[in-house]
Order: sequence, then C-alpha cells, then structure tokens
Amino acid sequence: MSAKPTVVVTGIGMVTSIGAGRHEFWNALLAGTCGFAPVKSFDTSAYSVHLGAEIQNFKAEDYVRTLDVNSIGRSSQLAIAAARLALADASLDLTEIDLEHAGVCGGTTSGEPQFIERFDDHYVHDELRKVGREFITGYPCHVVPCHVAMELGFSGEAMMIPTACAAGNYAIAHASDLLRARKASVMLAGGADSFSRITYTGFARLGAIAPEVCQPFDRNRKGMVPGEGAAMLLLELKDHAIARGARIYCEVAGYGLSCDAHHMTAAHPQGEGAARAIRMALDQSGIAPEEVDYISAHGTGTLTNDRLETIAVKNTFKKQAYKIPISSIKSMLGHTMGAASAIEAAVCALAITEGHIPPTVNWKEQDPECDLDYVPNVARKHNVRIAMNNAYAFGGNNSSLIFRARAV
Amino acid sequence: MDVEAIRAKVKESIFKVTGIEAATISDSAVYVAELGLDSLSILEIAVSVEEQFKFHASDEELSAIRTVDDTVELVRRRICAAVA
Amino acid sequence: MQKRVAITGMGVISSLGDSPATLHSSLCNGKTSIYQFDESHLNGSGGKGSGRIAAFRAQSYLRGKNLRPLDRTGQLVVAGAGLALEDSGWTPEHLAEYPVGLVLGTMFGSLHTIAKFDRHALEQGPGCASPMDFANTVINAAAGQTAIWHNLRGINSTISSGSASGLAALGYAMDLIRFAGQTAVLAGGADEFCFESFCGFEHAGMLHSSGSLELPVPFHASRTGFALGEAVGLLMLEEWETAMARGAHILAEIRGHGSAYDSSRQDRGMAVRSIVRAMADALNDAGMSPREVTCISASANGSVREDQDEAVAIQSLFNGSSQSIPITAIKSMIGETLGASGSLQAIDLVETMRSSVLPGILGLGQKDPLLPELNFCCEQQEINQCHGLVNSIGLDGNVYSLVISRGPGKT
Repeated sequence: MSAKPTVVVTGIGMVTSIGAGRHEFWNALLAGTCGFAPVKSFDTSAYSVHLGAEIQNFKAEDYVRTLDVNSIGRSSQLAIAAARLALADASLDLTEIDLEHAGVCGGTTSGEPQFIERFDDHYVHDELRKVGREFITGYPCHVVPCHVAMELGFSGEAMMIPTACAAGNYAIAHASDLLRARKASVMLAGGADSFSRITYTGFARLGAIAPEVCQPFDRNRKGMVPGEGAAMLLLELKDHAIARGARIYCEVAGYGLSCDAHHMTAAHPQGEGAARAIRMALDQSGIAPEEVDYISAHGTGTLTNDRLETIAVKNTFKKQAYKIPISSIKSMLGHTMGAASAIEAAVCALAITEGHIPPTVNWKEQDPECDLDYVPNVARKHNVRIAMNNAYAFGGNNSSLIFRARAV
Repeated sequence: MDVEAIRAKVKESIFKVTGIEAATISDSAVYVAELGLDSLSILEIAVSVEEQFKFHASDEELSAIRTVDDTVELVRRRICAAVA
Repeated sequence: MQKRVAITGMGVISSLGDSPATLHSSLCNGKTSIYQFDESHLNGSGGKGSGRIAAFRAQSYLRGKNLRPLDRTGQLVVAGAGLALEDSGWTPEHLAEYPVGLVLGTMFGSLHTIAKFDRHALEQGPGCASPMDFANTVINAAAGQTAIWHNLRGINSTISSGSASGLAALGYAMDLIRFAGQTAVLAGGADEFCFESFCGFEHAGMLHSSGSLELPVPFHASRTGFALGEAVGLLMLEEWETAMARGAHILAEIRGHGSAYDSSRQDRGMAVRSIVRAMADALNDAGMSPREVTCISASANGSVREDQDEAVAIQSLFNGSSQSIPITAIKSMIGETLGASGSLQAIDLVETMRSSVLPGILGLGQKDPLLPELNFCCEQQEINQCHGLVNSIGLDGNVYSLVISRGPGKT
C-alpha cells in the first residue's frame, strides 16, 4: 500500500437534467428519473433524431454572484453552480482557507461551444464585424475553470483538461496528484459541458444518437443521447479535512489512464487500453480486483461501447466480473460529455456513503454479449467499500478512478 | 447515369478520402479487408458520395455498406428512385 | 528520494525552422518570421503581423500514409512528435514494446476544423457534416491522432491553460514521472494559426498595430500587442535513471515547476503577485534559490499590461540579482504561438545552454522607462548558462514557470 498522503472527497455539487445539488440529484437518480426531451436549444427539424438531455430552467443568477452572469458562457455558469453547491455541501468557509493554495481543475469536451457557433452564424451571414471581444474572452475552453476560480477567489492552479468524455476523471486524478504533492491544500475538480449544436450534429452524423431512449447494455440499444451538465468535487488531504471537522465521503484511492492508439472514435476491439487503465488504477490503489464492490460504467448506450466495455471488464476481472454490479447513469442523464465522469465520480462517492447504487434504466432484454449484472431498472441497496469509475473518450483516452470508503 | 459512371464517381470519393488511386480499386473491393479502411473512412466516403449525387442515405443503408459495389448499388437505387 | 526528470529529445516545427538548432540559430541571428498578413477580407482591419508557418508541408514529415484524417493542428503535432521521437532515439520497435505517454498543451485545439464543421453543416445541412472532421473537433483530437500515428499507448492527456498551455503540459508531464510512476512522456504544446483565432484576437484589440513600431517588441515603450503565430514544440521527458539505463542522450533536466492564477483580473498587484508566486514555487520545487538562476526566458510578447507585470514580478522576486540576470523574449521574433509558446521557450533554453549563446530581444533598442531596470538582452550574447527559468503568462491570468538545468556534458 502506498505511503502517499490520502486525498478525500468532502463536498459534492452537480447540475443535471434531473436535478441540482446532491440531495435532489441522488433522489432522482435512485428513482430512475430520466432527463430526455426533444431538443430545444436549436432547431433539429433537419436532423433524423431529435432527443436530448438538456437542463431545463437553469437559473445561473442563483449561483453566480461575483462575476457578471451575462459575460460568461453556459458551461462556466454550470461549473460555477456545481462549485458553489460543492462548497456548501462541504461546509467550507472560504475565509478560513489559504486561497493561494486553492485550485480548480476542470474537464470538458467542447468548452463554450455557443461562442464559436455564434461566430459561425455571423460568418455565414457575412457579419463578422459583429464578433466582439467576447469571443476571445468567453470561448477558449480554459476559461471555464478560470471563471470558477475568479468567482471564488481561488488563486492556485486553474487548469482545464479537455479529454472529452473522460475529462472529469482526468481532472480528479490531476487534482489528487497536486494535493498529494502538497502543491494545493484544496481543489475543486470536475467537469462541465453545455448543450452543443456541433456535438449533436457530429454524433447524429455518426448515427450514434438513439431516436427514443437511451438503454445501455440492452440488446436493442440504438445509441446515446447527448446531454449537458456539470459536477465538482471538493478534494483535500485527509489531515486538512479532519482538522477543519469536515464530513468525509470517501478517499480517492487511485487512478489509471491509458491510450488505445487505435482509432479516433471507436475503442480498441479487445478493450485492451481500457483494461490497462483498470489494472493501473487497481495497482496504484493497492486494491485486488475481487475487492471492487461497484463499477460506474461509461455505458453510453451505443452498440460498440457497451460491448467493448463489457469485454474490458471481463478481461480484467475474469469470473469476478459477474459478481460486481455495474450500472450506467447515462441511461437517465444521457451523455453529459466532459461532465459525465465527474457526475459519475460523485455517484461513486454517494454509493459508498449511502450503501445504495443507481440502476441502469430502460433495460428490457439481455444482449448475449453484455451479460453482466447491470443493476437493471431498480436501484439497489448494496454495501460499497470500493467503487470504480470508468470513462472512455474520442482519441482513445481511457480512464479509471477508484474510490475507497474512509478507513476507520 | 450508367453504372460505370457511378462507379467512377464513387472511386473519386474513395480517392478524396483515402488517397487510394481509383485504378487500383477493384469494383468489388471490400472496404475493411481489402482497402484497410476503418469505420470513419467508410462513413466519410459515404458522405462524399451523398454530396456528389445529392441524396441522404438512412443510417440503416449506411451501416449495410461493406464493398465498393454496395456503394454503387445504393447510388443506383437512389438515382432510379429519384427519376421514377 | 525524488525522481529526476531528463529531457532526452526535442522536436519543433515553427516559422523559424523545424529543428531546435535551426530555431535557435534564427533567433540568435535576429531573424523574424512575423510578416504582414493579408486579412483584408476580415472587414478592413489592417497592419497586423502574423507568424504563420508559410511553407508547412505535412507530406515532407509524414510519408507513406493517408493524411486526410489529419487537419492542420493534427499534422503539426504528428510531425513534431515524429521529430522529437527520432531525436530521443525512440524507434517504432521500442514504442511497440513500451507505452510512452503524450501530454499536449493547446489553447484552441483544431479551432478551424471546429468552425469549418459547424459552418458546413449550417450551410449544407447536418446530413452533409463530415464524420472525419467531427473526430477532430474534440480539443484532445491532435493528441489522439498522434498516439495512433506513433503508437503512443501510455498516459495521453491534453491540457488547456490558454497561452500557457505548453508550459502547463510540461509541468503536468513532469509530475507524472515524479509521482505517478511514468518513465517516458512526450510533452509540449501546439496551436495552429487560423483566421478564426486571428479574427478573435484582432476584434479583442490584443494584436500589435503597426504605428511607430513595425513589429511587436516585448518591453518596448511603444508596444501595442502581439503578433499571432503557430508552432508545435515537443520534448521527450524521461525518468533520469531509466533514461541513463537505455543509453539516452540527456540534453537537460527539468528541475521544477510552479503555477498560480490571478483570480482578481483587475488588481495589478495581484497579477504581479501571481507571477512572483509561480516563479518562486518553481524554484522551491527545484530546491533552488533565485540567486542560482542564470537566465530568464520571458513570456513577454508585446502586450502592454502583461509585459509590465512580468518585469515588475521579476524585479520583485530576484531583487538584488535582477539587474544581472539576462532576460530574453523570443516572441519578439516568433510571435505568440499560444499553446506552443512555453515549449518553444523551453526548447530554445536547452539550445542556449548547449551553445552558450542567448538570443536577444529583437527591436528592443531601449526598454520602456516605466519598467524596472532589468538586464534585457537587446542582442545575442555569450552566456555560461547553468539554470534557466521559463515563464508563461497567459492572457487570462494563468501563470506557469519552469526551471531547466544544463545536462551532463556539453555537446
């Protein structure tokens, strides 16, 4: 077992299509609530699919207090909201921490896509003169964690890790490393993505969007449903948390990262890179495969991902794979892109503390190639000491994060 | 448009996406096994062909394409349907 | 005992050359790659320079394979990685045996592809969108493409900290080696020149306007902004003992890194303090004192505010010794290459240590009188350089600093 300092999760905040904040979100998740509806933020009449998982009625002004809410994009607004919820959940008093050692590490797929979409709207209408300063100050993806840092006065590192659909895991991994190296005393880590016309168009073009429902691992699954959201976890060293009397959800035990180096949009056919990431995470955490009690799957609902992910889990866990419940909350939230693995990390922390795991909903018929226990349709009470969070992205980026119940 | 003309245009699309010269592509070439293409390239070729011939294939039609012949047949079917 | 991080190879493609030696020689000879960019189609803005790589031909670096899946950013990174791998002696056979990682810093990724994909769909309909272009719209696309091309199966990450991304990536990779058990990671940064980002910076009033100064000159009294460039710069970082064991040629050592964020964005005092903190943290991480620094590669690019903040911060931290430490600013010649900038500075610093010649700041006859008295190098000079500090000060408050020490045995 490593002698490195222990990183713990002390606060959780999220904004999703099924609820904002830990309590509302968790209750909705356990109840199997889905956030799917016809897309509203742009016209999909020219598309063959129309389903999305947008956040309805999000009021940024409820959360953004320092910055001018109109000067920042939607991803930044969602990230700030998640950050404020996490800080409140952690009962962290900002006047009592060293702000110069408080940092933000975010993940994303698109950053602030509405800004480039507006740029393009101007371009096609021959109105580039209407592009103002806001494009450069609002668009580049690194401004999302910067806006969180500006909102809160955090002056440590502010970094964006845009590793797409695995980004949240990467952000939490990096934040944990900074804490262990004592380069920071608190870190907000997570991910955010707002609904994107570009992302929707691309996945529609790949034929990857389900027409009616997202049903990961089901025999008749027809694809994913693009969504949006944000989640932030407050991380600190265990000693720091205990000293301020914080409630500790769990420990960040370790992580594994790898690259398929195979294909830009499809995973390795034997799940080789994903399996390596799982093994690295287990090694780094000092945990044996049979100790894992729950896996939060990437589980997008596409034919390929779900099949290959199942192969990777079986290759790593062997027969033990059949004993580990593995569920996909994308069955309810859709694919929130850069926020996905951050929201799923929060779910792992909650699973550990609540002894309850969320279901994979919309599951009706078993696929012979996906024959694990996906916790179909109904949430389940389950003692979770070790939870694993897997996430995979375009470019072959694979990630596994392991959370462990606090050592007594 | 006759089949040979369609085939020539399909091979133009293949060249545009993959750099593989039309003269080296057999009419019945299998995209994955013989031309060594991945799923993204095959889809890109289909999009290029759709643009050339001004039609949109359904996801089912696209997922059934395995060979050059399949692509040519899809175009021929769509052109006939348009004319009819 | 903490692990040491060696630099065992470098690859660069820039508007001043596609090898570290050529780049360094051009900089020492005061060559500039900033030329007048014809952007008359961008609604009348004039007189702006750019450092676009005018003659980049991907085919000359990437032979034998279809290049269609790669866009310009992808081509630059794949090509730059190939040069760095070759320079460090990592052959395809070695790469097949061992999973080398890649950490790429970039501000925009493939902005032109993102925009082109979107516009094509807007104008022709979503059914005409290009699947291959979509694969390149994710900001981590170039890192993914490079991994596929060169079989890099280790930790693959993309970092965005604005124009400080390249240096941030080097620090991130350094920590993967020191703390996460990695032994070989290719790291650095890249950003392409495209009219979308040019237009954006221009409309934000950040670009140099030729008035009394023809070209943007860092620290000059008449500076008005920067010239936008493009480049890729990648360094092979390896755990020291492992590098020695495989007989690698160690060019230099990365000793430490530091970062900070100016969350105020309005308070100049806080902006200066964040730069001081980043530099101090880097030196602390390296186990060095400011007195031991023998050269500074400044981030300064001609921006009115940031150049001044950096100068004030340097004087503040180095205090007594600040007047003697020579300072260079290579963006005076190569322009602001955004995500690539920090890695280009690092590469040139390694070359400076190997050649004992430090490039001057082109066009800086006399510094801005509002700036503190520092040893700004106006011309190339001979230097016995042991420990250099590289700064990257982003346009949005991110600050990164890196300490590099000379390698064992000068070549």
